[in-house]
Parts: sequence; structure tokens; C-alpha cells
Amino acid sequence: MRKQIPNIAGGLFLIFLLIFPLIYGRADYDYIMHILITGFFYAILAASWSMLSGYAGQFSFGHMGFMAIGAYTTGLFCHYIYISPEPTGLCWETGFFGQWLVVVNPIGVTSTTLTQDCLRQALAGWGGGVEVTSMPVPLGILLGTIMGGIAGFLIGMLVLRLRAAYLALFTLGFSEILKATISAEIDITRGQAGLELPPLYPNGVTWFGSYFEPTDKIPPYYTMLALLIVCLLILTWLARSKFGLFVRALREDQDAAAALGVNTVRYKVLVFTITCAMAAAAGAVQGHYVQIITPNMLFLLQMSLVVAMAVIGGIENFVAAAIGAILLQVALELLRNSFVIGGIEVDMTIWRLVFFGILLMVTLRFFRNGLIAPVIHYFRREGVAEETVAKRATLTGPGGGPHRAEAPD
Amino acid sequence: MLFWGVIVWMIVWGVAGSILIKRRYLARDLDTSNANFVGAMAGASLGPVGIAALWTKTPKSSNFLIVGLGLLTVLLVAVTFSFADPENICVTSGGFVASQFVNGLIIGIIYGFMALGLSLIFSILGVVSFAHGEFYMIGGMLVYFITAVWIPGVPPLLAVMGACAIAFVIGAVFERLMLTPMYHGKIDRPVEYGILVTFGLAFTLQYFVQALAGANPVKAQRFLSFPRWSWPEGADPVWIKTSRGSMTLFEQVSISSPRFTAAITCILVLLALLYLLHRTWTGKALRAVSQDREAAAIAGINPDRMNMLAFALGGMIAALAGALLVQAFSWLPQVGAIPAMRSFVIVVLGGLGSLPGAFVGGIMVGLVEAAGTGCVPDPQKAASYIPAYGMIVLTLTLLLRPTGMFGRRFASGAHGQF
Amino acid sequence: MTIPTRRLSLVASAGVLALSTGVAWAQDCPIKIGGMAPLSAPGTVVGGEAMRDAMLIAEEDINAAGGVLGCDIDVVIGDTEGLPEKGTALMEKFISQDGVVAVGGGYHSSVGVASKDVADRLQTPTVFAETWNDTITGDKQKYIFRIAPLSSWASSTIWKHALEIPGVEKVAILTENTDYGIPAAEETTRGLESGGKEVVTFSVDIGTQDYAGIVQRMKAENPDMIIVLATGEAGYNFQQQAADAGIGSLDMPFHAGQVSLESKAYWENVPDGNYAFVQRIGVPENLFTEEGKAFAAKYKERTGKDAVESYAMEAYDSIAIIAQAINEAGTTDADAVVAALEGIEHNGTLGKIYFPYGSGKDPSEDGHGDEYWHQWPDVALTVIQYQAEGENSGEATIVWPDAYKTGDPIFVNQ
Repeated sequence: MRKQIPNIAGGLFLIFLLIFPLIYGRADYDYIMHILITGFFYAILAASWSMLSGYAGQFSFGHMGFMAIGAYTTGLFCHYIYISPEPTGLCWETGFFGQWLVVVNPIGVTSTTLTQDCLRQALAGWGGGVEVTSMPVPLGILLGTIMGGIAGFLIGMLVLRLRAAYLALFTLGFSEILKATISAEIDITRGQAGLELPPLYPNGVTWFGSYFEPTDKIPPYYTMLALLIVCLLILTWLARSKFGLFVRALREDQDAAAALGVNTVRYKVLVFTITCAMAAAAGAVQGHYVQIITPNMLFLLQMSLVVAMAVIGGIENFVAAAIGAILLQVALELLRNSFVIGGIEVDMTIWRLVFFGILLMVTLRFFRNGLIAPVIHYFRREGVAEETVAKRATLTGPGGGPHRAEAPD
Repeated sequence: MLFWGVIVWMIVWGVAGSILIKRRYLARDLDTSNANFVGAMAGASLGPVGIAALWTKTPKSSNFLIVGLGLLTVLLVAVTFSFADPENICVTSGGFVASQFVNGLIIGIIYGFMALGLSLIFSILGVVSFAHGEFYMIGGMLVYFITAVWIPGVPPLLAVMGACAIAFVIGAVFERLMLTPMYHGKIDRPVEYGILVTFGLAFTLQYFVQALAGANPVKAQRFLSFPRWSWPEGADPVWIKTSRGSMTLFEQVSISSPRFTAAITCILVLLALLYLLHRTWTGKALRAVSQDREAAAIAGINPDRMNMLAFALGGMIAALAGALLVQAFSWLPQVGAIPAMRSFVIVVLGGLGSLPGAFVGGIMVGLVEAAGTGCVPDPQKAASYIPAYGMIVLTLTLLLRPTGMFGRRFASGAHGQF
Repeated sequence: MTIPTRRLSLVASAGVLALSTGVAWAQDCPIKIGGMAPLSAPGTVVGGEAMRDAMLIAEEDINAAGGVLGCDIDVVIGDTEGLPEKGTALMEKFISQDGVVAVGGGYHSSVGVASKDVADRLQTPTVFAETWNDTITGDKQKYIFRIAPLSSWASSTIWKHALEIPGVEKVAILTENTDYGIPAAEETTRGLESGGKEVVTFSVDIGTQDYAGIVQRMKAENPDMIIVLATGEAGYNFQQQAADAGIGSLDMPFHAGQVSLESKAYWENVPDGNYAFVQRIGVPENLFTEEGKAFAAKYKERTGKDAVESYAMEAYDSIAIIAQAINEAGTTDADAVVAALEGIEHNGTLGKIYFPYGSGKDPSEDGHGDEYWHQWPDVALTVIQYQAEGENSGEATIVWPDAYKTGDPIFVNQ
């Protein structure tokens, strides 16, 4: 029975998250919701990263790069492509099922409202007689996810030979090149000024008879939570299947796995593709939620946040990593308030990050499986130890193989 | 247009070459470690002809061949560039090229020196230290605080030495506290553990300094003001002319005093370091550990102490680079990020764990960045892409020749794996 | 299913209600006002800290004078980090968590551009202090006001002044690739070209340390003058490295970045920075209003600085004008405060602040562009020149325009 405690606790936590927006009613409602949505976003990143790095042993520092690919794909898609019933005569356009698919010319960053792109000029010319449709947001998110998957596939192909530190440096290089490109190509990406995205539900949404404004927090909350749950389900399914076994073999000893007939190339590329697509999907949804994306989300420190969350949660257990991400995100936000000790004001906006770094190091040093994974593990393994010892005694004698954290199930 | 056409041609044949030649070498059961690189360079420089020649002859990929084909490729890019954009200042002005070259060289020496520390750490501990940039940052911060706040008027040399000593201690303490469990198989993936835990240190140090020192840009006074002087008198052009803050060579190339002193100091310290590594017992022990940990232990060297020494020394080298550059650049708690990235590029290019590689790699990266900022035609974008130039070198090196220029294939412990 | 549905809509509407009705908190003391400032990098921290101090002084002054609607005010300071996405998050936090009734401050344009939409959406009156991008008011949003100059005015100060410098034929501009830098460089270029000058622009990523390559490239262009349109320490780094290479402010007319107004940090970071021109907002100290003089004295005493920066004064005014508007409106209701702001005449540290154009009178009625919407039109823009090493920006010679001139410029190229 005790073995079920993690499942029960997890279920309760999930139920709590599901009903939280309905029962919470304080004045800081929107702010708390914002923290949680961002928490889910980081949870997806941390979970997929722990699958890639902890579970499959492909230590990547480019995860934020794939996230940005997702966000910028949908951002550029929604920013530059429109459907118009009339040809504008100014933009690049092509016929599209009786309508016109219009690609807006990039005007870059301007200070005045005088410079207008071709579509705005055309709209002004029509004098309001023509309705232009923007692209559907879900299509953008889908495209972003696919682009992330493709990029993950390509990077996975390129890094087949690389391991450990070399892999980390290569993926870091990829992420930095991407960041420099986004910052420099201001005409198209608007660089540091940030690319503005339409909200997740541009016309609002009606669920269960209630209408929600585009700015309401409830729709993005459930969207992000649903994405998180879907990602975790996929990861769990993968971890339990043959796939999980093989990618773990990749981590332990790539050469031995290959010798035993595991198609290492295929599984290495596959694990990259899947986890990167997840990161891209999270990036795309988050981009539409915050409605502005900048290359700063590619800062190494942002990546370090994801890494730290996964490590503190439990790097080899993606459920623990996801929970760690949510809890840490909430803790980091709530610790923002400065306090005074003995007349000295402690500016928590910065000190909280110092403590965070120390926590990360201590966790690494003394709790190698993170802080949350061992708790799950503790209940899960109840009674298993004796069983294993007995088994080992008959099979291999003492010390038969390394002891490892189990996959979550 | 011409330029991009040629580049696409080179990339296509380069990729084809790297794949085909690798296959060919595999099929003929030859050493394939350089086949990728040689194939790519042959394809890029000579197109199908080069690949065909390699395919039929499959010579042993000697250093001569590697360097020759590499140089040919670079030359080809340069020639194409000068034809494609004959108005470009990189083509028309020799003085400009010289000044960019000298600039790249000087800053490359300093970068190379900093990367040396990273390479030292890697060669002994097998850890890529992600806290290298933060050691650089605290080196500069300490010099500023010592010279300007704590003990105003102290000679800069003392301040630099003080900063180095503090960085050394931080490195040693961190190694004792955090890295020791790596060595005895207590951790099943030591490389990743090393990356993560140094990452934690970087995070902590950066915000710790920000919390204490604030985020205002600070800068130390320049250590050395040149006297007003020119030589030879009355010559045209004057060979060397100095003013307070800078030195001008042949009225074309100007070198600022902070950079000059930093580069000279780096070279001197490098020489001292070489002496330490090759002429003293400690240095020999360090090198022995980097070559074979077990054998060194049998010979009576305590590898754990060497680990501590190497990590502390590596951190100190980065701090020294920072301490020397704080007179040239404005300093913030965030300044470590870019030099840290650049150090990664350099050590990968030079070969992870290779000390001469780090230094040569540093100079090459300095030159590549100078060429990038100097020659990219659109001035609006040339500088925006600065962080990317080095990273392109990094990714290309890892793809074509992960061991870098001087890398050893098998170092002790886990380092040899890539 | 009916119960959760009702619950859902109930809570949702409660959330919306809580946001839109500032009235609910009107009688709650203290009245909270948000103050945005960049307090950590990559934002311009020197600027942010000055603004924070100024806004806290404003809070003290207003409370000492009896507060607002019988309440004390509480200025909640928030860090934008100079990043647009942090700016939007901060604005959201101000309004929904801290429950501020209005927002002042703001330094970086990109932050202003991004966060103004949040403020307008959540119907919170916002008076931007130091965000210059024209589109901030150009979008004609109901709740957005500004007392900083327009970017186009600031640019025109720079280029008009540059056109008057003798012996300048070719100008090199260093700009940052942000929505302050890029448009400012474009406008300055346009202005200089209208005067027949040749212009070449280099743009850099903020956070770059080493400008040697760019400096050499700029030097090879042989400019007669250099204009820096980069905020933050990038301005310091570039200027000193240019000086080292022989194209600094000692060698040719050099218009330094805004951050050079922080004299102490300026002289520490740019020891060879004498004779640089810097743009300054507001009249010289001897022409200060009574409020300006009082604030300057208090500010200097508080911070230990020798001079008061223009953005500190703007930040002070942005808080003070909000307080006055709430008093005049007699409520913290957003629409009433906006109405009060549109009709306000505020004697601020910078002068008499008012917003002539708004819902009552469209800017086009006077032939102005949309950017005059909710914009204080009388911002004084001057150019100062450091003429002695270690000089304080508040005492530096004002060399342009003639109306405020306190001395003749020194042209190092002559």
C-alpha cells in the first residue's frame, strides 16, 4: 500500500493544480496564475531536458535554443502572414483558395508611427472596407513544434559522434549562434526590441458556457497544464517502452549498447527529436501567452535555471524534475520580497538567486538524485531492497551491478 | 552574390567530402580520425577534383595534408571575398588589415591565456569548468576594489597579485568541497557532475558579487601610462609613437596601454607557467597526472592534491586575465559570460586538454573575430554578430575534428571520450 | 457540471472585477503607486538607481505634505532589468499583486513600448518618465502619458547641434540594436544627411565589451565626428576604447551616450573623456524652478552626488504628477485620474507640466503627429560639454541651444 503513496500524492497535487484557479480568489489572483503558468512552462522544459540529459545521457545545453525556435517560428508566422479577401497590390501575395495569402514586408524597428508595413498601407487605402484574417494561433504553435522537432532531428544527426563535455559545448554553441542571429537580424526578428505575438486565444474562448477574454489567465493556465500533462504522459510511455530501455542503454554505455544490437543512431536522434519538439511546443505556447519574445530568453542563465530545476527535482526522473520546476518557480517568485535583519536590508531580488545557486551545489553534492526523486523512490522501493538482495545473492553474488534510481511509473 | 555562390559550392562539396572520404577510409580500413576533416577541406577547396583524388589515392592523412588543405580553403575564401567585394576596406587598405591583425593578435593572446586555465583544469580533472568566466569577473572586480575602494593608492601589481591569491583560494576551497567525490567513482557520470557543479558555482558567484558590489559599471585606472615619445625622430612614417593611453606603430596600428600591458603580462606569466610545468617537480607531477592518473599514483604522486592545484591554478589564470583587462573594459558582475564562451571555443579549437593548443587557439579566435568585425560588409550587422563568429568555429571544429588542433585522443580517465 | 461552471465564471468575473475597479482600494491606505526602474543588468543600473532614489524622495515629500486623499502614498519600486518581457511581467505584478493605482518611472524604451500595452489593457494610468520611443504615445492609448522628450526631438537636438559644429563633413554613429538605438540612429542619419553630411552607422549588441574591431573600422572611415547612441556601460566601453585608438573626444567632436551624465562613473570609466558633448534634458540648474531647487538639494544630500540627473527629475515628477492627479480627481478611479491628468497643470521640478492633447483635443487639430498624444510638449533639451577633467555634469558648460547657453563650446578639431 505504501508503494501507492507517491501516486496518490501526485494525483492529489494534480487535482489541486486542476481546481486551483477555481477556488483561489485573492486579489493577487492574476499574479499567482502568472507564476504557475510560467512554472508549467519551466516544468515542460525541465522534464524534457531531464529525459534528454538525465535519462538518455545526452547532456544538452541547447534546450532553450529549441524553445526559442518554437517561439520564433510561431511568432514570425503570425507576425508576417495574413489572409486577405482582396489583393493588396503592395505586398508579396499569392492566391489561396479564393483568398489571398499575404506576406507582409518587414519594416524593422521604428520610432515613429509614420512608417507602416505594406498591409497597413493597404488597409488604410481600403478605408476599413476589407477584413484581413490573421493566421490561426494553433497552426503557428504546431508549426513551431514541428520546426523544433526538425531542428532537434538535425542537431541529433550532427552530434552522433559527440559525448559528454563535447556534446554540451556543441549544443551551447548552437544556442549562442541562434541568439546572435536573432539579435542581429533586427529587420525581421525585431532583435532586442522583442517580437510581439497575438494572445493564445485572440478572440477569447468559451469553455463550459463561460466566456473568457483573451487576457484572462484561465485559458492559458489550462492550456499549459494540459501541454505539461501530455508531455509527461508521452515521456512516461516512452520510458516504459522499449525506447526507454534503449536510451538508458545509450547513457550507460553507447558502444556496448551498439554491440548488443541497439540501433544507437536511431534512438539518439529520436530522443533529440522528441524532447526538442516538446521544448519548442512549450516555447510557442509561452510566447503567445506572454505576447512578447526576445533573444534574451537564450541567455545561458535562463538555461541554467532549467538545469537547476531539473537537478534539484531529480535529474533522472522527469516527473520529479517537473514538480521541482513548479515548486522552485513559485519559491523564486515568492522570495522576491526583501526583508530586514538587524537593520540591514537584504535585497532578496538578488540574494534569492545566490541561495538558489548554493542550493543547486548542495543538492548536487549531497543529494545526487535531487530532492524530490528520492522521496518517490523511498516509497516505491519499499520492500524491493530485500527482494533484490535475495535475487542478487542467487544470480551474481555480492555487488552485482550498479544501483540506480528507477524510472518513474 | 558571387561570394555566396562560392560558399554554397564549398559547403556542398565539403559536406560531400567529409561523408564520402570517411566512408572510403572506413572501407579501406585506414585511420578515420582525420578523414572527416581532410575530406571536408578537400571538397571545400578543390571541389569534386579533390574528393576524387583523395578517393583514388587515400593517402595517410598526414599533418602536412591536413594543414595544407586547411590553409588552401581559408585562402580560397579570402580570394573569393576580395573578388566579390573589391571595394571592401579589408581588401583595399593594408593599414587597416594590419591594425585589425595586431588587435586580433593582442586580444587573442589574452583570450588564449585565459583559455589555458580552462584547458589545464580539463587536462587534470576532466572537468569543463563553467565557472571560468566568473573567475575572470572576480579577478577584475577584486583589482578594482583593492585599488579604488579598499586601499586606494596601492600599486596595481600588488592588487593583481592579491586578486590572483584570492581567486586561487576560492578555487582550492571549491575543489575540496565540491569536486572530491568525482575522483573515486562515487558518481557514475563525473563529466556531467563537473559541468553542473561548476555551473552552480558560476551562478552563485555572479549573483553574490552583484548582491555585494551592485551592478554599476566600474573600471580600474590604467596601470601604465606611456611617456610621450616617438622613434625614430623625424622619420616618415614614424615607427613608434606613444601618447598617454596608446602606442601607434607606423602611424597605422594603435595599441592601447591596457591591452599592451595585459598582453605582455600574459606572455610573461605564460613563460613562468611553462617553467613551472616543465622544470619543477610539481609541474612534472601535474603533467604526469594529466597523462596517466594511475601510473602517476603508483609513482608516488598524490593525484588528489594535483586536482586541487590544477583547479585553483586554472581559476587563478582566469582571474589574472580579468585583473589585467579591468583597466581596459568597464566591469559588471555579468562580464564573465562572453569570455567564458570564448574560452570554450578556444579550448575546443586547440584541443580539449591541450595547453599549447589553447594558446594557439586563442590567437586564432582573436584573428577570426577581428576578421569578422573588420570585413563583414554591412557595418550595421558586423558587430552584432561578434558573439557568433567564435561559436561557428566551435561547432565546425566539433563536427570535423573533435580533438581540435592539438588534442589527444585518449587522455586519462573519462576525458578521452567525446 | 453546473456547479463548477458557475464557480468558474464567478471567479473569472471576480478576477476581472478586482482588476478594473481601483475604487475597491480607494479608501485603503496607503495608496500604492508603481515605480519602474532598471535595477540590474542588462538594464542601465546607474540610471535605474537614480530614478529609484528620486521616486522614494517623491514619496517622502508627498507624504510630508499630507499625502493623497488623506492617505499616505507608497511607491512600490520594481526592477525591469531593461528587458521588455520583464517589463510586461512587472507591470502585471504591479497591477494585480501589489494593487497599484498608477505607475510612474520607466527608463528603457523597449520596456516602455512593451509594458504600456499591459497598463492600457489593465486600465492603469501610467506616466512614463524616461522612455523616448515615439510610439509610446503615438499609439494614442487612453491610460498612457509621458513627460520624457520624444525620441525624434532628442535626435533632432543631436543632429542640429552636430550641423553647427565647424569642420564636420562625415559622421560615424555607434548605436545599440534596440528600439531606442535603431530608430534614433535612423532619425539622426536623416537629419544629418539633410544638412549634407555623410553618415555611417555601426550597430552593436548591448553587453559587448571589446570594441577594438569596430573602433578600427570606424577609424578607417575617417569620420570628423562620432555620435554614440548606446545606453548603459556600452557607451563607456566604446568611448574609452575610441579614445585609446585616437578617435576619442580629445581628438574630434564626440557626442557621448546618455549614461555619461553620471559624472562619477563617467570619469572612472572614461578617463580620457574630456570635451565630450552629452545631451541633457531640462534647463540648467540656475534656471531650476522652486520645486526643482528643493528636490536637487534633497537629492544631492540623499545620494551624495554633486548633481541631479535629468531622469531623476523626470522620475520625481512622474510620481508627483500622479499624486496631484489623484488629489484633483478625488478618487483613485482610473478614468477619473486620466481625466485629471488630461487637464492637469503641475508645477514640477522640470517646469510646468501639462498634456495639451488627449481625448479632448486630437494632436492633428494643431497639425501635430500622433506622438503628441498625452505628451508634455515643453521639454527643454540641451547639449552640455565636459570642459575639465572630473567635471560634474550639473556644472558642465551648456553649449546648445543659444537660449540656455552658459559658455562657448571647445572644438578639439580646430
